[in-house]
Amino acid sequence: MGLDIRIPLGLVFLIIGAIMAVFGLFTQGDATLYEKSLGMDINLIWGGLMFAFGAIMFFFGKRQKWQDDPVNPRPWEREPKAAPRH
Amino acid sequence: MNITYIDWLIMLVYFVFVLGIGFALKRYMRTSNDFFLAGRSIPAWVCGLAFISTNLGAQEVIGMGASGAKYGIVTSHFYWIGAIPAMCFVGIFMMPFYYGSKARSVPEFLRMRFDEKTRALNAFSFAFMTVFSSGISMYAMALLIQELGLFKGILPDAYIFHVSIIVSALIVLGYIFLGGLTSAIYNEVLQFFLIVAGLLPLVWIGLRNVGGWQGIKQTLPATMTHSWRGMAHASTNSLGVEWFGLVMGLGFVSSFGYWCTNFLVIQRAMAADSEEAARKVPLIAALPKMFLPILVILPGLIAVSITSHMAGAGPEAGDGTYATVSAQGKPLPLDEAHPHGIVPVKTDAITGQPVVDSNGVPVYDYNKTIPVMLLHYFPTGILGLGLTALLASFMSGMAGNVTAFNTVWTYDIYQAYINKKGSDAHYLWMGRMATIGGVALSIGAAYAVTSFNNIMDALQLVFALVNAPLFATFLLGMFSKRTTGHGAFTGLLAGTTGALLHHGLTLPAGETAGIHGGWIAVVHHYPSDMAQNFWTAIFAFMINLVVTVLVSRMSAPRPEPELVGLVYSLTPKPVEGHLEWYQKPATLAIVVLVMALALNIIFA
Repeated sequence: MGLDIRIPLGLVFLIIGAIMAVFGLFTQGDATLYEKSLGMDINLIWGGLMFAFGAIMFFFGKRQKWQDDPVNPRPWEREPKAAPRH
Repeated sequence: MNITYIDWLIMLVYFVFVLGIGFALKRYMRTSNDFFLAGRSIPAWVCGLAFISTNLGAQEVIGMGASGAKYGIVTSHFYWIGAIPAMCFVGIFMMPFYYGSKARSVPEFLRMRFDEKTRALNAFSFAFMTVFSSGISMYAMALLIQELGLFKGILPDAYIFHVSIIVSALIVLGYIFLGGLTSAIYNEVLQFFLIVAGLLPLVWIGLRNVGGWQGIKQTLPATMTHSWRGMAHASTNSLGVEWFGLVMGLGFVSSFGYWCTNFLVIQRAMAADSEEAARKVPLIAALPKMFLPILVILPGLIAVSITSHMAGAGPEAGDGTYATVSAQGKPLPLDEAHPHGIVPVKTDAITGQPVVDSNGVPVYDYNKTIPVMLLHYFPTGILGLGLTALLASFMSGMAGNVTAFNTVWTYDIYQAYINKKGSDAHYLWMGRMATIGGVALSIGAAYAVTSFNNIMDALQLVFALVNAPLFATFLLGMFSKRTTGHGAFTGLLAGTTGALLHHGLTLPAGETAGIHGGWIAVVHHYPSDMAQNFWTAIFAFMINLVVTVLVSRMSAPRPEPELVGLVYSLTPKPVEGHLEWYQKPATLAIVVLVMALALNIIFA
C-alpha cells in the first residue's frame, strides 16, 4: 500500500505525547492531581516518552521509500496466468 | 470519575486518526484483492502486530485482567502454553499451504484440499461466529462505558448504551468500508501500540505502589504467583485442571484449533507480501505475545495486592461508584487474608445493591479490574490515554471479525453459491455491502446478548463446540494425502456431535444441569468448568481424528497431482537457500520457543 503505517502511527504518538507533556508541564507540582500516580508527574514523563517514540517512528516512516509502487505489478499479478477460481 | 477536557482531546485525536487512515487508504482500493487481502503487500512486522492485535480485543484485556485478579499468574498459561507453541506451528508448517495455495480464505483452502461441502460447513459456521463475536465485543464496550459513567452528564443515562453501540459501529464501519483489510490491519497496529502505551505506565506505577514483584509475592498466596505450582492435581490449583488436561486440552487441541485454523488471525498472515513473510508473521507476533501477560495479567495481580495501608489505597477520592463498605455498613476487608484489593463488589444492575452469595459474602466484579486500576492510578491526562487504550482494544476485536466476515461472505458464500460470474468490481462492491451488513448484524447480536441472559454462555459454548474438532481436519488434510473430502466432512460433524454429547453428559462441580452441561445425564463431574472445556476439546479432536481416518480409508482418494501445494509430502519444501541461517523462520521459531520455556521456568 502507498501509505507507510509508521507515518500515522508516529503522528498519533507525537500529538498525544505533546498534549500530555504540555499538560504535564502546566500542572507540574500539583500535588493533589498527582497523588494518584504516587507523586510522579506521569503526564510529563510518559508524554515525553511517547513524543520521542512518535518522532522515531515518523522519521523512519518518512525515510523509507515504500517499495510498493502502484505502477509495479502486485505479487499475484507477476505470476503466469493462474487457472480461474470460483 | 474525573475526566476533563484533556482526556476527551486525547480520545478525539485517536478517533480522528482511525478514520483518517481509512480515508488515506481509500484510493488504493482498486480491486477486490486490495480490499480483502490488502493486495498481499504488507510487510511481515505489520501483519505480525495485527495478528496479535486482532486477538487483543475486549474479551482478552478485560478477561485476562479479571483472571489475573482471580486466579493469579496461572492465567499466563493461556499465553505461554495456549498460544506460543501453536503460533510457531502455524508459521513453520501450515503457512506454506495457506499462502502458497493462493486460497483467499480458510474455507477456500478447505474447498481446494477437500470439497465444496466441507467449505460450506466451515464458511457458514465461521460467518455466524464472527458476527456474534463482534456483537459481544460491542456489547461489552457499551456496558463498560455505561458502568464507568463516561458520558454521565453529557447524555441522558438511558441513551448511553445505545449511543456507545451506534458510535462504535459507525467508526468501525467507516474505516473498513473505506480501506478494507489494509485499513483494519493499520488500525490494529495503531491499536496495539496504544494498548501498550496505555497499560505500561499502569503497571509501572502499580508495581512501585505494591513494592514490585517481590511485594506481590509477599502479599499474595503462593499459588497465585507461581504458574505451575499445584498443577499435578486438579484440586491443588485454582484452575481446577491437572497438567495433562491443561497441556492437551489448552496447549494442544484448543490453542492449535484457534491459532492454526481461525481465519480471523490467518487472514492477517495471508496479507503478507511474500510466502517467507507470511511464515514469519505468527513468529513475529509470538514475541510480543509472550510478554502481554505483563500488560494484561499483572494489573490484575497488582489490583488484588493493594492493601489498606498503602498510599492512595483508600476510597476513590470524590467517587462513590465503588463501594468500600458492604450493604450492611461493615467495611469490606481490605487486608492480606482477603486478596481482592481494589476489585469492586458486584452490584445489581436494577437495584444498585451489592450482590452477595448464599453466605452473605460479597461477590466481586473481577471484570472491572482493569478499568478500576486505570481510575485508581491515572490522573487526568494520562487517564485519557488509558481509556483510549481500552476503547482501542474493543475496536480491534470488532474490526477483525468484520473483515473476516466480509471476506468469507463475499468469496465463500456469495461468489460460491449466489453469483459466480460477477466482475471483480462487483465483488469489491459486494465486500463493501457485506461490511455494512456485518456491522448491522453485529449490532443485532449485541442487542440479542442484552435481551437474553444466557445467550453469552450459549454462544461461548457454540464457539467451543465448533472450534474444538477443527484442528484434526486441517492436520489430516495437510499431512496425509489419503484424507478425503467425505472423511473431512463426516469427521467434522462427528467431532462437533461428540463435543455436544460430552458436554451433555458431564458437569463442572457446583453447577446445575443446563447450559453448563449435564443436560442429557450426568455421568462425570469435573472439578471446574475449565477442566470440562479442555476435555470437551480433547474428545472432539479425538473423535474427529478417528472418524476422518476411517471414512477416508473407505472413500476414494484424490489423484496425487491435484494435491500438490496442499499436502506436505507432495509439496516442494519452501526455498530458503537465499536466507542466512538467522533469517530463516525455523531459527526465529526456536528462539521464540526457548524464550517461552524460560518464562515458564522463571514463573514456575
